[in-house]
Amino acid sequence: MASQVTRSVKLDEIWPELEDGIYTIITDFNKGFPKQKWMQLYTHVYNYCAASQSRTTRGLTSKQQQQQQSQSSGASFVGEELYNRLNHFLKKHMKDLLKSTESKMDESLLNYYYTEWDRYTSSMKYTNNIFQYLNRHWVKREVEDGKKEVYEIFILSLVVWRDFLFTPLKARLTSSLLDIIENERNGYQINTQLVKGVINGYVNLGLNKEKPKETNLQVYKTSFEELFQTATENYYTNESLKFISENSIADYMKKVEIRLNEEVKRVQQYLHPSTEADLIARCEKVLIEKHVEVIWNEFQSLLENDKISDLTRMYSLLSRIPRGLDPLRATLEKHVQTVGLQAVSSLASSGAAIEPKTYIETLLKVFKKYNDLVTGAFRSDTGFVASLDKACRRFINENAVTQAAKSTSKSPELLARFTDFLLKKSSNNPEESEMEQLLGDVMTIFKYIEDKDVFQDFYSKMLAKRLIHGTSTSEDLEGTMIGKLKSTCGYEYTSKLQRMFTDISLSRDLLERFNSHIEQNGNGVTLGMDFSVMVLATGSWPLQPPNTNFSIPKELQVCEQLFQNFYQHQYSGRKLNWLHHLSKGELKTKYLPTSKKGYTLQCSTYQIGVLLQFNSYDTLSTEEIQESTQLIDSVLKVTLTSLTKSKILLADPPLEEDDISKSTSFSLNKQFKNKKNKIFINVPVLTQVKEEIDSIHKTVEEDRKLQIQAAIVRIMKTRKQLNHQNLLSEVIQQLQTRFNPKVNIIKKCIDMLIEKEYLQRVENQKDFYAYVA
Amino acid sequence: MTTVKLESSDEKTYEVEKEIACMSVTIKNMLEDIGETDAAIPLPNVTSSILEKVLEYCKHHHEHPSPQQDEKKDEKRLDDIPPYDRDFCKVDQPTLFELILAANYLDIKPLLDVTCKTVANMIRGKTPEEIRKIFNIKNDFTPEEEEQIRKENEWCEDKGN
Repeated sequence: MASQVTRSVKLDEIWPELEDGIYTIITDFNKGFPKQKWMQLYTHVYNYCAASQSRTTRGLTSKQQQQQQSQSSGASFVGEELYNRLNHFLKKHMKDLLKSTESKMDESLLNYYYTEWDRYTSSMKYTNNIFQYLNRHWVKREVEDGKKEVYEIFILSLVVWRDFLFTPLKARLTSSLLDIIENERNGYQINTQLVKGVINGYVNLGLNKEKPKETNLQVYKTSFEELFQTATENYYTNESLKFISENSIADYMKKVEIRLNEEVKRVQQYLHPSTEADLIARCEKVLIEKHVEVIWNEFQSLLENDKISDLTRMYSLLSRIPRGLDPLRATLEKHVQTVGLQAVSSLASSGAAIEPKTYIETLLKVFKKYNDLVTGAFRSDTGFVASLDKACRRFINENAVTQAAKSTSKSPELLARFTDFLLKKSSNNPEESEMEQLLGDVMTIFKYIEDKDVFQDFYSKMLAKRLIHGTSTSEDLEGTMIGKLKSTCGYEYTSKLQRMFTDISLSRDLLERFNSHIEQNGNGVTLGMDFSVMVLATGSWPLQPPNTNFSIPKELQVCEQLFQNFYQHQYSGRKLNWLHHLSKGELKTKYLPTSKKGYTLQCSTYQIGVLLQFNSYDTLSTEEIQESTQLIDSVLKVTLTSLTKSKILLADPPLEEDDISKSTSFSLNKQFKNKKNKIFINVPVLTQVKEEIDSIHKTVEEDRKLQIQAAIVRIMKTRKQLNHQNLLSEVIQQLQTRFNPKVNIIKKCIDMLIEKEYLQRVENQKDFYAYVA
Repeated sequence: MTTVKLESSDEKTYEVEKEIACMSVTIKNMLEDIGETDAAIPLPNVTSSILEKVLEYCKHHHEHPSPQQDEKKDEKRLDDIPPYDRDFCKVDQPTLFELILAANYLDIKPLLDVTCKTVANMIRGKTPEEIRKIFNIKNDFTPEEEEQIRKENEWCEDKGN
């Protein structure tokens, strides 16, 4: 068989040449290695392995052959002796290397080790190729047969290195590494390339016994990483103690930040990536967790001094450790609340009446400052956002101003007034471009308002005025604002406001139809004046009926009657109430010799009612005026005063301190003069405003009672039975978005519902209610 | 296109495209280790006549790359030899064995596979006497030994085909 290859090769014939070749490769490879020589060595290995095979089989009798075959389960491959010689050779080489390290220390040791390692591993790659035939056959078979101690030549070379050079040397190596790393931490330049190379060697020696071609981190972890981590902990324990005792906390935090970044970079530069997580965790523990109390204690003073960058740093450091931020949240909450309360206090202590604008701006300033801090330095951390919210809610709803007003409803009222200030046409209106922002600010405060129902009432009152008097800055802005309220509080909250808008536009259509109706079917009747009317649904508008009788002057009567007929014809069954106290009109003077053009007087309907009397009479007494207008005393008094004060009418005897007697007589002031052609006759409103506020508070109270009752009924209907405490908490929970229901009022409402027989007490059970179907 | 020079045992030199030469894993490894020089690569175990055959095979397969075969799918089939390879292996026995040795030495797996398959096909379905005849092997078993082996291997007799 295979007669062509019969050269018998004895190991002793080829080994000297192989040994010499490998030695050259290991020591001197860089000088070049001829192809011929490479091929020669390969061929030696091949010839030895391939030819010996035929030789061994040939020398045996068939029986022996049989035996041998059954022992090695198939064809036999030769190579063991060659493998052993190589193994032996490598071990000897290791001894030589080990000897040379004896005199070396620290960096020179690392240098030597790394150079040799580098040289050895690359030359072993070549050697592995030269011994490829051995790998392919004998080694492969041995490994397949389960021999654990046989490796491919390259792996063998690593195993030998590990066991005969690295293991005896590793203590010295690792301690040299740790020394050099400590040097770097102390600020010295080190040869990171060298450290990286040696550490890579550790990684590559982690041979996986099961799968020799893969590495694990066994060697790196046990021979280096564990020691490194301990050294790191010790180093930073000492450093941090020393640093903190000599420097401020702010500086310490800077130091820690730098150190942590350095360690991350260190891993990237020369350690195995798997080390990072644990290393950083340990650093955090030693550098932050151990000193967390001192850091916490610094928080308040940083807040007080607005040290934004230090706060940012503190947040990012403390967010690294578990529960590191918890105490800060409470501190922030308290601080913001204090700052907010102080700001309002100093505003209130100035003594002047509280302007809605300054009040809201004060609140906003505090909010914005800390909102910036929370979203910036604290990266919108949910815990801090919650603290800010809590603090704002407290100081916005209860502060020096609300305490002075003895009502938590002061804030929603002032907020509504501020909104009215923004939306009402005036010369002080902010730029259109700022409006969106300002309305956003309103919503920011609104979010924190507890009595949202109070805001709603004030808001709708003021909106009604703006709409009726046509004093809105713009319909778009009104729409925007309502949209914002809707998106915060839902459809129900704004539905009435929305309907007010609808009424206004419906009225516009109606008026148009009325005017064309008059033109077409009026039979020559004209109104003789400009007439406009708004028809507003009673349920949607927060308007009060007039508190006085009023007999409308005959000049206006026609108009009113025509419209009344027109409307009733269109919508029979609807009732029209004329709200004269909200109406106004313009009069033109023709009696004044001082002005040929005449003045235009803008007056309330009541003022018109009075003035028109003077078309027929020169002088009228209070009594006579009252008789023809039917106005009640108080209203008449206000009306007459306003006309006298604006010098349209003259009183005889002249009025003193609004004192009008029944016999006081009035006449037109024929000498009236004014710079303007259009004159607005003021109606004093102070008393009205106060009444208004009171009435709003009253309606709010009433509304709340109704809402609480409705909530109770809803809850009881689903629960059937419930004890007092649970009922309370459910009611509060349901209504919280609108206002904070007070416990005593809820109790009252429960009693009322029991009286009305919606509820009953469960017998023999204390504080237990049942729903009565 | 880089070329390398190969030198047979009888000192004939062949200039070959590097990629073709590198179908031999042995040559490939060596070139990676040493780097490229002008010197010819000596192949002391391959004669010129065989080297020419081997190069012919490599050249053909370099120009007609066979679709990538799944290593795992390689389930020792004997009847999947492509036409070119079958014709290539139609040579006398000594040449065939020389080719096997060369393929093994140079580590050209496809060539080693196809030549070995060819030999396996020569054995398949034959009686021991026929096999001995084909390969010119002297029977050195005694009749008792032969009977013994037959008994031991009875289990595979039927499946032999």
